[in-house]
Amino acid sequence: MKTFRRLTYPYIAWILAMIVIPMILIVMYAFTQQGNEVATLHFTFDNFMQFFTDMDFLRTLWLSLRIALMTTVLCILIGYPIAYMIAMSSSKRRNLYILLITLPMWINMLVRTYAWIGILSDNGLINSLLSAIGLQPQKLLYTDFAVVLGMVYNFIPFMILQIESSLAKMDKSLLDAANDLGADRWQRFVKVTLPLSLPGVISGITLVFLPAVSSFVIPKLLGGGGYMLIGNVIENQFITVGEWNFGSAISMIMAVIIMISMYVTKKLDKSDDALSRKRGSVR
Amino acid sequence: MNRFFSLRKICLGAIFLFFYFPILYMLVFSFNDSRSLTSFEGFSLQWYQKMFQDPNMMEAIYYTLITAVIATLISTVVGTLTAIGLSKSRKIIKDMVLQVNNLPIMNPEIVTAVSLMLFYVSLRLEKGFMTMLLAHIAFCIPYVILSVMPKLRSLDDHLADAAMDLGATPFQAMLKVIVPQIMPGIVSGALIAFTMSFDDFTISYFVTGNGVKNISTLVWTMSKRINPSINALSTIIVLMITITLLMVNILPLLKERAQRKNHPISNRALGIVSICFALLIGAGLLGLKNGAKKPMNAKEAIAKYGSDTLKVYNWGQYMDPQVNQAFEAQYGVKVIYDTFDSNELMYTKLQGGESYDVLVPSDYMIERLLNEEFLQPLEKDRIPNLSSLAEGVKGLSYDPQNLYSVPFYWGTVGIVYNKKAVALDELQKEGYNILRNQKYRGRLYLYDSERDSFMVALKALGFSMNTENETELMEAYEWLKEVVLTMDPEIVTDEVIDAMINGNKDLAVVYSGDAAYILSENEDMGYYMPNEGTNLWSDAMVIPKNAKNPLLANEYINFVLSYEMSLKNSLFVGYASSNGEVLETLSGYEGDYEGNEAYLPRVGYDKDEIFRYNEHVKKMISDLWTKVKIAK
Repeated sequence: MKTFRRLTYPYIAWILAMIVIPMILIVMYAFTQQGNEVATLHFTFDNFMQFFTDMDFLRTLWLSLRIALMTTVLCILIGYPIAYMIAMSSSKRRNLYILLITLPMWINMLVRTYAWIGILSDNGLINSLLSAIGLQPQKLLYTDFAVVLGMVYNFIPFMILQIESSLAKMDKSLLDAANDLGADRWQRFVKVTLPLSLPGVISGITLVFLPAVSSFVIPKLLGGGGYMLIGNVIENQFITVGEWNFGSAISMIMAVIIMISMYVTKKLDKSDDALSRKRGSVR
Repeated sequence: MNRFFSLRKICLGAIFLFFYFPILYMLVFSFNDSRSLTSFEGFSLQWYQKMFQDPNMMEAIYYTLITAVIATLISTVVGTLTAIGLSKSRKIIKDMVLQVNNLPIMNPEIVTAVSLMLFYVSLRLEKGFMTMLLAHIAFCIPYVILSVMPKLRSLDDHLADAAMDLGATPFQAMLKVIVPQIMPGIVSGALIAFTMSFDDFTISYFVTGNGVKNISTLVWTMSKRINPSINALSTIIVLMITITLLMVNILPLLKERAQRKNHPISNRALGIVSICFALLIGAGLLGLKNGAKKPMNAKEAIAKYGSDTLKVYNWGQYMDPQVNQAFEAQYGVKVIYDTFDSNELMYTKLQGGESYDVLVPSDYMIERLLNEEFLQPLEKDRIPNLSSLAEGVKGLSYDPQNLYSVPFYWGTVGIVYNKKAVALDELQKEGYNILRNQKYRGRLYLYDSERDSFMVALKALGFSMNTENETELMEAYEWLKEVVLTMDPEIVTDEVIDAMINGNKDLAVVYSGDAAYILSENEDMGYYMPNEGTNLWSDAMVIPKNAKNPLLANEYINFVLSYEMSLKNSLFVGYASSNGEVLETLSGYEGDYEGNEAYLPRVGYDKDEIFRYNEHVKKMISDLWTKVKIAK
């Protein structure tokens, strides 16, 4: 058996080079100033200070979190009923629905987002329709609305698929049992279905919130050049401004925020699990 | 039950409409006869034709597919082997490796991208195909491992032992016993890897370079202008993916049917089908590769110039593609053409160690590059066309003798306004301050350039745009911030061109060349250069010190400066040519830009200035501009 262990050595070397060292580089850049020479290491907190003492950067961070949160909530509110309907379908239909949901995910995200520009722009499809029925055209593109819409559009399939798979895995006889014990439809949903589907919701949240908070493509395409989320600030620092140290510091801040929120969600999941198990055993 | 069923139908119908409507919309408009993305004016295949003729698009498809295929193959093999190894490893090693393995999945993509970029830069690796491929492999393997591991967990350990007891080598045991049992995990891992690589934008964007683009990064650079070829490209992708997915979904069905009927031949048939499919992909890739540009007489060029490729880094939408094609045909070389959309972006790339043969920065940036000794002198005897430079671009302060630079385009910055909505005398009265007139709230575009935005603010306040006075700069910052906070402007780059042609808004700060193009497409638009003065800018071709092919670079500069090529370029984008004769032809009697008030730059007005480079001011402006943008 031990012979197989050797199979991991190349990959261990690989992750050292391609994952660990690059991550260390970010940390190093974040704690040093200017000049990209590693030789003159000089530790400093300036990059972090610059970020945390500036209201504008903090506001951008807050906006990113708000937009990501809004996206996540919308994805749950829309995604859950859809997932439920799919999971309750016959298996043949279920496969078809799932295929239909996965298919767009295979198409380039940029391309799909680009398509919305034509629909939302000032003279775009929606506004043409609005003015055709005699309504005032609305400013849609380059607004919060457009950005959230773009994010929901791109990320909701993850939510639906996660919830759906946890619902599909559910033991249907539990529902019958609840029924036999006199629970009505609503009670069956709240007491049986919902708790059992929570792991799916939670992994859906991570799959939506994480890309939403760090995205810089959707805000730039649908929010316009003046729309800055935290991802755009990072992109801007690295690509245009050339301040890699400051950019690395912001990247680190974002990574830490995300790790904390992941940790909290996971904890939530576990405690919920434990709770329901405990409750189950008491009853 | 019936009611519930119909509700379900409506909901599912709505969500699928939501998913597919944009895709359908794109599909339909790829067949549009006009450039518009909003009104359908008849069926045409012109965008497909344009796409297939565009070597950049063909190359992007090629690179996307080849990267996805290689990354999938390597990551599937490595991921599977590692997963097998891990399942037999001690728990502590297994946990640690899986922990690190999770990093690229849990980390925001942009952080992974940035970390890889820093890694490549510190190794001084030149960004291009290899760096992109390595990055793709790096983020694909974790997904393969994650999808193979669960299958291994449910595997009976003793089977491999038994095989080895019966005389199988470990390799045989793995191949014949373990792998077949975890096949579903491997296949789904490979599928995830392929999608991740095929779709990737963020990571590729940070780690690619040297003209190597995948579909995503290409769409990103093109997305600023309305370009229905993107729709045509997308339609092709949709088609490819639908076919692939059908194959993936139908193959197992075929297999199942074959097994049910217990036909031994069918398995072979299945093999034949998949081989055919692989051949088809291979042939397609080969065709794309050949369709992509290739030097015709590379050997000759290498003998003459020492290389058969020339790397040009220019502004986006700045050249008629035919010019590079003509150069390639005449010199038998391949032009790698990369674009940027700000001087700062170009500088950052250059500083990151990227090497180019010809760059086209603006005045102040050339001054900076000269100060920091980034440029090499031109070989003037190879550039006889220098004699045809227009009067307005002779003896420019940053390089009066043209020792290092040859002007390409020049112009001013001004305000494009909708003549039906904004009166000229109002503009004359208010100048740049019209951008703070509440009447036009939400009706204006600012250009996303730190330099020119500060130019506008400084001029509006009556200061010099080259001021080094910090209080004046802070005043300009407050001026801009107020515009952003009270006027609801949209800060755009090249999107402004199509937006103003469509008449989306009434006012826009625009470069004169783009203005000339807007005016020629929409006669309601006018161009105004405020009396407070403006930025008299010029972009010039220079050769960096680390150019790999300076000889050819000099030839290229001469070629681009020639009458025919200058004419093509100036006609294509609307910017004022540096070639005097071209200026005369185009602005003269019956020229294409006759009577176009934006085409010919204003010369000799004493409040107009040329940007100078000052490191401290540059840093201050760039920080302040970031803050203006996020103030919204």
